[in-house]
Amino acid sequence: MSDEEHHFESKADAGASKTYPQQAGAIRKNGYIVIKNRPCKVVEVSTSKTGKHGHAKCHFVGIDIFNNKKLEDIVPSSHNCDVPHVNRTDYQLIDISEDGFVSLLTETGGTKDDLRLPTDETLLAQIKDGFAEGKDLVVTVMSAMGEEQISTLKDIGPKN
Amino acid sequence: MPQVTRAGLFEDEVKVCTAALRLILQILNWEFRCNSNGKKGVNVFSSGIRHDTSLSSRTECILVQPGPGWRDILISSGDIVWLLNLYTALRRKFSHEGFSIDCLIAVSARKLILQYCSLTGTIFPSDNGQLQEHHLLQLLSGIIPWIDPPDLVSKQIECGTSESEMLDGCRALLAMATVTSPTMFNQLLKSIRPFGTFTLLSTLMCEVIKVLMTKDPDEETWSWEARDILLDTWTALLMPLGSAAGIVLLPPEGVDAAATLFTYIVESELKAASASAFNDDSDSDYIYTSISAMDERLSSYALIGRAAIDFAIPLLTRHCTERFSRLHQGGGSFDPTETLEELYSLLLITGHVLADEGEGETPLVPIAIQRRFADFVEPDNNPVVILCSSIIRFAEQSLNPESRSSFFSPRLMEAIIWFLARWSQTYLMSPEESQDSSYSSKVDNMHQVQSIGSGRTVLRYFSEYDHGKTVLDIIVQVAITTFMSYPGEKFLQGLTCYQLLHALVRQKNICIHLVTLESWSKLAIAFANEKTLFMLSASHQKSLAQTLVLSASGFRDSEPANQYVRNLMGHMTTYLVEISSRNDLKRVAEQPDIILSVSCLLERLRGAASATEPRMQKSIYEMGFSILNSTLILLAVYKHESAVIYLLLKFVVEWVDGQITYLEAQETTVVIDYCMRLLQLYSSHNIGKISLSLSSSLLNDAKTEKYKDLRALLQLLSSLCSKDLVDFSSDSLEAHGTSISQVVFYGLHIVTPLISLELLKYPKLCRDYFSLLSHMLEVYPEMVGQLNKEAFSHILETLEFGLHHQDSEVVNMCLRALRALASYHYKETVSGKMGLGSHASSLRNPKGELQEGIFSRFLRTTLQLLLFEDYSPDLVGAAADALFPLILCEQGLYQKLGNELIERQANQTFKSRLTNALQSLTSSNQLSCTLDRMNYQRFRKNLTNFLIEVRGFLRIV
Repeated sequence: MSDEEHHFESKADAGASKTYPQQAGAIRKNGYIVIKNRPCKVVEVSTSKTGKHGHAKCHFVGIDIFNNKKLEDIVPSSHNCDVPHVNRTDYQLIDISEDGFVSLLTETGGTKDDLRLPTDETLLAQIKDGFAEGKDLVVTVMSAMGEEQISTLKDIGPKN
Repeated sequence: MPQVTRAGLFEDEVKVCTAALRLILQILNWEFRCNSNGKKGVNVFSSGIRHDTSLSSRTECILVQPGPGWRDILISSGDIVWLLNLYTALRRKFSHEGFSIDCLIAVSARKLILQYCSLTGTIFPSDNGQLQEHHLLQLLSGIIPWIDPPDLVSKQIECGTSESEMLDGCRALLAMATVTSPTMFNQLLKSIRPFGTFTLLSTLMCEVIKVLMTKDPDEETWSWEARDILLDTWTALLMPLGSAAGIVLLPPEGVDAAATLFTYIVESELKAASASAFNDDSDSDYIYTSISAMDERLSSYALIGRAAIDFAIPLLTRHCTERFSRLHQGGGSFDPTETLEELYSLLLITGHVLADEGEGETPLVPIAIQRRFADFVEPDNNPVVILCSSIIRFAEQSLNPESRSSFFSPRLMEAIIWFLARWSQTYLMSPEESQDSSYSSKVDNMHQVQSIGSGRTVLRYFSEYDHGKTVLDIIVQVAITTFMSYPGEKFLQGLTCYQLLHALVRQKNICIHLVTLESWSKLAIAFANEKTLFMLSASHQKSLAQTLVLSASGFRDSEPANQYVRNLMGHMTTYLVEISSRNDLKRVAEQPDIILSVSCLLERLRGAASATEPRMQKSIYEMGFSILNSTLILLAVYKHESAVIYLLLKFVVEWVDGQITYLEAQETTVVIDYCMRLLQLYSSHNIGKISLSLSSSLLNDAKTEKYKDLRALLQLLSSLCSKDLVDFSSDSLEAHGTSISQVVFYGLHIVTPLISLELLKYPKLCRDYFSLLSHMLEVYPEMVGQLNKEAFSHILETLEFGLHHQDSEVVNMCLRALRALASYHYKETVSGKMGLGSHASSLRNPKGELQEGIFSRFLRTTLQLLLFEDYSPDLVGAAADALFPLILCEQGLYQKLGNELIERQANQTFKSRLTNALQSLTSSNQLSCTLDRMNYQRFRKNLTNFLIEVRGFLRIV
């Protein structure tokens, strides 16, 4: 994780903020939120009150977008929460190296070689098989708070 | 039969006796079919389940209505006396020997007595109810020891006696209340006690509530059940089933009893409220849940309150003002929580007593309020006006920041908003009053004032000619306050959006005044500019946009209405265009703050688009038109942000759906071109995309999002379709060279590859897809001939898939599409034209294999389905309609298939049966070769006979 963070900082938009404040009440299901310093996708929001005549508070259940762990948080709904800046970039897959790294073609024509293949077997298989079959694959790399990971895969083969 | 029970009660005969009691009970549970003349003794009964739907919501009280033939057996025979004596004897025995009153024979006896209480209808002669009264009196005197005196009974139960007898006593009261009029009900007890039945009912219920108050509210106790039964009894008395809105006159004693009870109810609710004020059991506290859970109870309370309306209204006023002033006196020196909770309950009760729920219609002033207070013509003395005004004045105080922070808690505001919403639907600027006023101003005004009742006084007081406008202004300001000063209180704001404001703009006469109010334009300006309102939950913003646009129908002319919409939405379109044309859009687009703004803007635009009405159509068209390009840019930028994409698609769907029928040809072309670009863009981003995620819940989410997107796209195509059916424009589209059908087919061609078999498992998507497809094939079969090969084979495969779908509705739609295609082709070829041309004929593909034409293929499939597969019998009709033209198109193949079928039969008998059946399928009933209604019907008949004849052995052998 730490060396990935290092690479992230060398990127062009390193100066951009990693998180943004947003009112807890405005965060919806399917949005993003930072819980315990981890970027999460919100899968459940419920509201309750602090005492009958108190103010509303939001209860969030989020799933860490990188390691899929479930996290929970409670925030008064008029307070601000941190929302991660989740960035997704498309790259064409040009190579898979022996040591488990992928080589990606950037928009400017350079290559990006610092990204590991996903660890999960099935996902790995989908990328490897697709690549072995000679399909033109575009991968979307999701990055947030200094971490990045391949999140979707698209076959732009013969059809288009 | 009842004679069986005449056997005495000896220990060893208990079983026999119980069985006999249960037998009678079962007989009385028959569904008696009353024939009106009732001459013959025994009525027939129909077996099966009883359908007392109107009663099902109440505690089970089933009316027993045997005909007059049963009179001798059931009533005159004296069995009831025997039964009551039996039970009294049992009771005595129990009290001596310590038996339980829950033993089988006692329970059966009580059940039977209850059943006797429910006797009604023609079994009683038309003697002014004398026999019935006598009958009920007899029963009541037997039952009365179960429930009277109430305090003693409840004390015994609390000490350990079983409650079942008392509950049955309550049920007996409910049964009697259901079969009698209030007057007769009250009279019953008078002959054995110094007071009437109403008084007993009221004391009994007070007692029950007293016990209930001491219990934990979550625990289901006997007092809980008893209260519900007794509330149902009141409801049965005050709202008899037969009379829908008729007014029920209670005897004076009934009114007094209701007043006593209502006082007690209000007091105990208040006590319960202040006791629970510090409870922190979060979830159940929301007004939605608490109201829906309490609604039935509160409406029963309201009925009781209305029965003693002269008394209830001043009582509520007293309670309210007392608490209002307590809050003011307190200043900040004491904790107001208990008072707030009491007010919360009071507002709910008052709302129920004063007004009925609208449910989409404009509710009338409750009859009790309309009729009473007739002598209070002067509005300042009218109790209803006093009560309403004092609550509205209280609500107005929430505008003051100081008192807001000291005692207007979010929860109290919820109750206030709920009350205002409910109240304003009935009382505020009632259209009835406006019409009458304009009328009466011409006629003799003085005379009118004399004759109006209280309802009128109240309506007039809150009409547009009197205090209506001031009150409306206060309501709008309170609504603004909930948006501006209660940040993050979603529930409160939701109530304001969905209940209060929606209710207001639904009424035209209110809209007329809304748009002239300064507070309303303040809301509109705040909506367009204030940052706080961008913090509202996005769906609330949508609703608010819709509400604000809808209010434009209050303008008399379309020009100011359009100008109003332009002013309102102009900022948002400009802002959206600005964002989408930023140079660094790609970089900043994924920043959470930009995503939030874009989502909110799209939701607002969608809200506005959904409010399209002829008067504002023009400005809403312009609104959408100005951002068409921006939406395409955003669609590209946010291709990974499915939440934004969905909002965007929904906006487009809503906008096109609202606009399409009004558009002129020129505009339609623009919209259609735009839609096609949108579809292509969406498709290019999503085709072949696989989401990778370790978490199955996130993966499911992704699938659901995709499903929602596609459904939106199909809806978009469907609304384009509607242009061909409903069109208000002045010139025809064809003149401009655009054909809707072509466009929609092309759209389908783009969308179809995105719809995977996996996605068709979502039933709504599946139905939407097939209904659009079959609609297209039915209405424009000629288009199919012009499709290219790829598109055509997509359609074919889809139909093939649909024919084997488990949802019979989908199969039905596919069959309809087939029928349309085949009959089109047949009619065309008969008249010497091409029909579907190359698609219909068999072809050799490049590999040299023979590919069947479409109709041969579907003839096989349909026959296969009909003869050998499982399907719902409802489909036979539709299948016949499809099969008939298919056979006509491919007669050669049909003969061949028929012969194959016959030859496959080894059994000679079956063989000949099949031959004959096939023969008569196409020849009996004078079936001929033209596709008209008569022939379709004949063929349906033939096919049914054919299937009856052969399907059985074909499937087995």
